[in-house]
Amino acid sequence: MQKKSSNITLKSYLDLAQLLKKYKGKHEDNRLFALTQKSEELKLLSLWQEKNLYRINEELDSSKYLHYLTLLTSLFGIVLLVFGFFTGFALLSYSGTEPVNVIYLLLVMVGLPLFSMLLSLFSLFTGNRGANFFNHFSPLYYLEKIIDFLPFAKNINLSSLPFSATLSKWIFLQRLQLFSFLFALGLFSALVLTVISKDIAFAWSSTLEVNPISFQYMLGLLATPWQTFFPSAVPTLELVEISHYFRLGDKLDTTMVQNADKLGAWWKFLAMATLTYALVLRLLFWFMIRLGLNAQLKKELLALSGVKKLLKEFSTPFVSTQSVKQEKHLEVKEEASISASETLSDAYASLLAWNYAEKTLLLLQDHNKIKASNMAVVGGRNSFSQDQALVDGLKGKILLYVKAWEPPTMDFMDFLADILANKNVKVVEVCPLGTASGNYSSKKSDMEVWLKKLEQVDSEKLEVIDV
Amino acid sequence: MSDYPKFAVVGHPNKGKSSIVASLSLDKSIQIGNTPGTTQVKRGFPLKVDGKIVYELFDTPGFQRARRVFAWLQDHGDVSADKRVDVVREFVFKHKTNEQFKDEVELLEPILNGAGIIYVVDASKPYGAEYEIEMEILRWCGQPSMAILNLIGDEDYRDEWTRALGQYFRLVRTYNPMIARHIEHTQLLESMAQLKEDWTESIKKAISVLDELYDKKVEESLNIIVEYMVEVLSFVHKEKIKKEEASEKEKEDAKVTYRKKILSSEKKERRAIEKIWNHLDIEKKEISLELDRVGLFSKESASIFGLSQKELILTGASAGVVTGAGFDLITAGSTLLLGSLIGGVVGGVGAMFGFDNLYEVKVLGQKLGKRELSIGPMQNLNFPYVLLGRSLYHASMIAKRSHAERDNLELDNTSFTEKIMDAKNRKGLEKMHLKLRKAEEIEDEVLEEYRTLIKKSLLTLL
Ligand SMILES: Nc1nc2c(ncn2[C@@H]2O[C@H](COP(=O)(O)OP(=O)(O)OP(=O)(O)O)[C@@H](O)[C@H]2O)c(=O)[nH]1
Ligand SMILES: [Mg+2]
Repeated sequence: MQKKSSNITLKSYLDLAQLLKKYKGKHEDNRLFALTQKSEELKLLSLWQEKNLYRINEELDSSKYLHYLTLLTSLFGIVLLVFGFFTGFALLSYSGTEPVNVIYLLLVMVGLPLFSMLLSLFSLFTGNRGANFFNHFSPLYYLEKIIDFLPFAKNINLSSLPFSATLSKWIFLQRLQLFSFLFALGLFSALVLTVISKDIAFAWSSTLEVNPISFQYMLGLLATPWQTFFPSAVPTLELVEISHYFRLGDKLDTTMVQNADKLGAWWKFLAMATLTYALVLRLLFWFMIRLGLNAQLKKELLALSGVKKLLKEFSTPFVSTQSVKQEKHLEVKEEASISASETLSDAYASLLAWNYAEKTLLLLQDHNKIKASNMAVVGGRNSFSQDQALVDGLKGKILLYVKAWEPPTMDFMDFLADILANKNVKVVEVCPLGTASGNYSSKKSDMEVWLKKLEQVDSEKLEVIDV
Repeated sequence: MSDYPKFAVVGHPNKGKSSIVASLSLDKSIQIGNTPGTTQVKRGFPLKVDGKIVYELFDTPGFQRARRVFAWLQDHGDVSADKRVDVVREFVFKHKTNEQFKDEVELLEPILNGAGIIYVVDASKPYGAEYEIEMEILRWCGQPSMAILNLIGDEDYRDEWTRALGQYFRLVRTYNPMIARHIEHTQLLESMAQLKEDWTESIKKAISVLDELYDKKVEESLNIIVEYMVEVLSFVHKEKIKKEEASEKEKEDAKVTYRKKILSSEKKERRAIEKIWNHLDIEKKEISLELDRVGLFSKESASIFGLSQKELILTGASAGVVTGAGFDLITAGSTLLLGSLIGGVVGGVGAMFGFDNLYEVKVLGQKLGKRELSIGPMQNLNFPYVLLGRSLYHASMIAKRSHAERDNLELDNTSFTEKIMDAKNRKGLEKMHLKLRKAEEIEDEVLEEYRTLIKKSLLTLL
């Protein structure tokens, strides 16, 4: 059930962090990726990272760092295993005269692990301050500092890795569990080996006044976990009593000597205690910390710069509004190469008004005081053949009013060409007019549009007038 | 064939068809110009969500030979109204390769393929009967249609246009592509949704998609602005130095580099914002950020976006920036004192409050046997407001800019300060600026609050 988050590893975390520094992808691509994969967030992230990891050309931070971490962990692991083993031997060294004190053993085999677990627990429930504190507290922290000077670690800049103090704490705690486990394993094997190879007499003694009954009670408490299924590994009151050992005097207590064969029975208890508290409980702890580490990794992974944006892009539809087709842009001339003259003649053979209404034409004629023997509106709602007939009858000098603000269409250009083609027509003056509200004077920009169009007409007969 | 709605934007040449399409499709790649016939072929602008088309707009060339086309249609089309579209179809089919009618063929094709008609006119010019022929042709196509009144010039002939267009089109709406904002954009879409029942749902979807897109752009812009502010305000430049003390030249060089970095951050931010709003590579006129003068007050043109000295004192006091003697002076509430303080003899006071501080050059201690010089963060109190004001102004102008606009963007407007920051907002902003100035760590809540304030300012500008 918790499996889902377990796909985040230190490696994937480091890889993603490194990748995101280099490549974030486009919304369109990222969304498409999410749509084709159809997975939940974290899975998507890791798939995305796998797919794009090739974009990192340099060495991966993760391989550098994880190599270093593995090396360090195995090194310390072995050292601690061996150290545990020898500690076990040292504690169990039985000269044949003096029995081995069970209390020592319990302190190292049960007390120490419990204490370190307590510390771990404590550090779990403190915030970032605690994290910093524990990092400095740990001897590993200093060892790592030293190891920084080792040649193989030279190219790893730990401070540049994107680990927060809290994450480092979790990483460290996880390793601490592993090391403690290995140490305990060393102890345990030393115990088993010694018991097999030697006959050890265990005893207990304390400077404090502890009576056998309460001591046995305490041991019983410790043995609760295995009491029911392994009763012979719980020290009996009798065993406790006979193995009470007083240092006073040189000789061994007589009861002890008498019951020397029974004293070996302690080992079962010790073995079970170590197994339970230093090994099994430690494994549980290790597992718990692993879950915590995963949760923390997940949290920090999601907080990596760029991840939020990426996830947003995965979940937000990609919208595009633009054309996929490129437009071939029309070349536009800056300025017309012809210009308009400013004066109208007094008299014309014909006055034509393109796209004007009959009424307006009268107004125009009156306004400009034009004498024309013949007047007509053209274009507009006239049919094509009507205009055609009109053009055929034209002759002499023609004035053609056009609306300056309406750009010349090809319909107009065709019409103009027809007039110019008429042999009887001597001159055609095209006069773009502004709106009535502007007193019929055309705007410069509109005039420019007309000039640019009319300059394309190749005819001596054509003139442009701007009044 | 395809079941999404399509719309062909058609009309006379040079009436803003391309401008309207550019504005609606947020695409500035369209050629727009006052040369009639700028658009020569039709071009589709699909609104796509994850690759799926919601609706598509077509930009088309203008009518060039409407009368000839209509004459042809009438010659061939003594038919009942329901058959007229077939006559148009026949016309297009027969003239596909005819140079004379290439514009008409281009513009009629999408309509014959099922596109709705959006007929564009310039209602700032008087109505003319010649338009009726175009409208007749469009009527023959038998597609749902509406008209848009664009106002290119200053006059308004919308009444006469509306009367005429009303006889041909069910809907007549005004839409000015140059100044239309997101809201007008969606309103126009609402109208388009009414054209045909089958289209309503798609267009409603398009509206919500565009709404979300717009909100997303605002949010992204905010992120950019906040990131930029944090980056620049906390920016520290370090450089190794040769001797015990930094030489004058080293100091000067470091200052130059520091300034350059700030300017390049600004450039980067501008680009990022322009990219979000599809206005990359826009030509703009902007007063450049003159770092040596931000300490000056709002009378100066360089700090038009900053605060006046009075505002600075009040902001500082309420945000608890000014400490010690300065703080007492102000919280004593002596308006008289405050008045004189602000009124005139401010030279020394300015220095006391650090208005004139720009950036200090510090020499840092030994680090592995090397000495370093460091500049920043910028200490000037006005600096953040200048930065923020400039940035918000730019972002709002970009966000509002129509994709039909082809003129340079003018960013040298000078009457701007008040709108972005009232006294209350400033107090909130100062909390953050203070932390950045002191290079303190920024908690998420403070950042969030800062973002909210900036969002408020940005929204009032949009
Ligand atoms: N001021 C102002 N100018 C506009 C507006 N709409 C269009 N224009 C200008 O009018 C001219 C023509 O615009 P276009 O969008 O190219 O017109 P069009 O209808 O596509 O023209 P063609 O492609 O030639 O048929 C351009 O110079 C635009 O800048 C507007 O709403 N306001
Ligand atoms: Mg166009």
